[in-house]
Amino acid sequence: MSVAAVPAASVDLQRSPRALSRRRAIRWFRWSILGPLIVLLAVVLMPVLLLQLYFSFHQWSVYLGSWSEAEYVGLDLFGEVLTDPRFGWAVVRSLAFATGSTIGCFLVGFALAFLMYKPFRGQALYYTIFILPMLTVPVVVAYTAEMLLYQSGPINDLISRITGIEFKPMWLTDPNFALMTVMLLEIWNWAPFSFIILLAGLAAIPKEPIEAAEILGASRWRIFWEVQLPLLRPVIFLALVLRFLEAMAEFPKTWALLQGGPGTATETLPVYIFLTTWQYFEISKGAVMSYIVMVMMIVIVLFAIRLLRREKRSLDAMYGQAAREAAA
Amino acid sequence: MSKSYITRRGFIEGGVGLTIANLIPGTPPLAVAASMEERTVTAAKAAGAADVSGMIWSPYFVPMQPVIAEFKKQTGIGVGGVQDISIFDAPQRAMAEALSRSPQFDFIHIDSNMIPSLASAGYLEPLDQYMKQADFKIEAVADYANFMTYKGQTYGIPTDGNVHIQYVRKDLIEDPDNKKKFADKHGKELKFPEVWEDDLKIQQTLMDPSKDLYGSGNLRNRANGPTWWYMIFYSAGGFTFDDDMNPTLDTPAGQYAVDIYLQDKKGAHPESAGWGTAQMIPRISQGHVVSCQYWDGTARLNENPAKSKLRGKWLYGLVPGSDFSGKRIHRSISSPLAALLINKYSPRKAQAAYLALWLGSGKNSIPIVSDPVNTFNDAWAKEHMTAPQVIDAYTAPAIKAIETNFQVVSPPTYLTGYLEFQDTLGKNLSEAYVGQLPAKDVLKKTQDEWNAVVRRIGRSKLKDELASYKAVMPKRNLPA
Repeated sequence: MSVAAVPAASVDLQRSPRALSRRRAIRWFRWSILGPLIVLLAVVLMPVLLLQLYFSFHQWSVYLGSWSEAEYVGLDLFGEVLTDPRFGWAVVRSLAFATGSTIGCFLVGFALAFLMYKPFRGQALYYTIFILPMLTVPVVVAYTAEMLLYQSGPINDLISRITGIEFKPMWLTDPNFALMTVMLLEIWNWAPFSFIILLAGLAAIPKEPIEAAEILGASRWRIFWEVQLPLLRPVIFLALVLRFLEAMAEFPKTWALLQGGPGTATETLPVYIFLTTWQYFEISKGAVMSYIVMVMMIVIVLFAIRLLRREKRSLDAMYGQAAREAAA
Repeated sequence: MSKSYITRRGFIEGGVGLTIANLIPGTPPLAVAASMEERTVTAAKAAGAADVSGMIWSPYFVPMQPVIAEFKKQTGIGVGGVQDISIFDAPQRAMAEALSRSPQFDFIHIDSNMIPSLASAGYLEPLDQYMKQADFKIEAVADYANFMTYKGQTYGIPTDGNVHIQYVRKDLIEDPDNKKKFADKHGKELKFPEVWEDDLKIQQTLMDPSKDLYGSGNLRNRANGPTWWYMIFYSAGGFTFDDDMNPTLDTPAGQYAVDIYLQDKKGAHPESAGWGTAQMIPRISQGHVVSCQYWDGTARLNENPAKSKLRGKWLYGLVPGSDFSGKRIHRSISSPLAALLINKYSPRKAQAAYLALWLGSGKNSIPIVSDPVNTFNDAWAKEHMTAPQVIDAYTAPAIKAIETNFQVVSPPTYLTGYLEFQDTLGKNLSEAYVGQLPAKDVLKKTQDEWNAVVRRIGRSKLKDELASYKAVMPKRNLPA
């Protein structure tokens, strides 16, 4: 192990009263910001997590006495949940739903952001129109969809008139369509979220690399593909991750519209956890499910953070190389 | 402050005097002279004035308001505020209240099938002492008052009968062309259906999708489907559990019920798998349905000239029965049956209880069940069956049908864990209806899931409750 030699003058400087006082002030400032947050988390979040942890290891029925007298069952409930095929299918449906809707939101959001990132006349009006779906309450989205999407409803009628072909899919009552229908509603509802993030990202891209590429004679497509898209990658990752996490937790539309049906076609994780906890009153099993989902989410977030760091490093390297080339 | 003394002699003399006065022919007995409503007011006054709060769905609450205002005038007890929660969402909310032992609501208006679950969770105040104090009786048609009891105690006051009756389009069933068509196809006369098989035949024969006329108006969605299945199952002689609380669904009677339940699809609208009342009630009242079993309140809508084009074009009667068990059995159902329940943790539980009694008297509830606009509270009391105001709202044939069906009305699973039993059955029936699960597996899967529910809640606890469930079941096979 090698130890870098530190000049004596520098050590003196670090130990000087002024430097020490500055370091203390910085530490004090940091704790003054973090302290209340930590206290808040400890007071609000920790009791909930600890109570959930208690329920995860104790079998309690709402009908039999106080929860403090619940029977200790060790890891039995985790075993029960992990071998429950209904839970497995709920995970699969949630992952499919979150993946599909995240990709959909990204594609729509990106297309809108690309159309909007350069200033033009009437931009504010379009901006307002594009973010309106995000301001609509999900339950209202569900009920509106119910009125529009029945088999002989206005949507099918409109498509039939435009195409001249009788278009009669059962959006809400065919188990093969139902989850996709909720996915489409999620995309309609939350594409503006991806749009806002990506618009901010596109607007923040420095002009110099694009201008340099233009001077070098690159086509619009090449500039987009080789300059704008790589520079936007961290923002894209952020938009994807945030949207995915949100989509995994989607409940109001699915519940208001279909309550997990037809059959079990839209029984996603939040729906199944709700049913388990508030319909079957299996508080302990619900707590275990919540913990398992929380672990899943933490893994996804850690993976996303890792990807974001890698993106940042590659961008830093790219900028560093560009700066060195410019200097040379 | 002055004090007045009653001597022992004076007290005895007064008592003897009152007893003699009671026995004089031609004079009403003093002790029972007051009506049930007056006795409720007297008892309520003793509890003291208060504004109680509750959880109730506004369509149920609105027609109660004038009746509550009268009670407030007489006793000082009124309703201060309510949380407007749909009766379908109320069970979850009520259980959350029970978990936290919250005194927030003094009363809740909820499906009475939740009584065992909420009583087991320790949330409900028994009403017997208040009923005794006011000498109050639930004067319901047939044995319907039993729906309010659990383990020998009364926990609810009904505000809504919600019994299923049979609806058949009179104009279609009496049409000579249809009569001939039906006779040619089935070799029998087209008439009001008496058994499930006949109802299916009528639906499938008279439907005409090209005119947007479908055979069935029954619900087959996940939330409501079991209600229909229970009617068929019970009428086939089935019952849900044996005496040891082993589920007895996967039986010939159960399979018969699944078969009839799924055959409905042949006459139903293609989207019926996802339809609830919001979609189906307009279909019925606008004449897009040949026949169905449905909640009785829809008759009020059908016969309301302001809202229906088909006034007088419906026949109402007893829901179909079955000969499957070797004898003809008819079973109607009431679910959700809306009732007022009182929170044990409420500091105003006495006031809330007396308010519930006031709203649940036959006489006071007449304007509630005959409201022409808010048609959620349906007739259930003996007095309703003869009240001109109620008959005018429903029509005499519909009232007759309600009275008839009440005589064979049954509950779904009337046990702690009602929602668990209901949802697992609903899920599996729904999966079979949309083709996700083979019909033969529905009951086996449901039985496995019900066994898990029984284990979790406790077999011995549920065995104790079985007598309450059986007490609610009708004793007659056919209406008298």
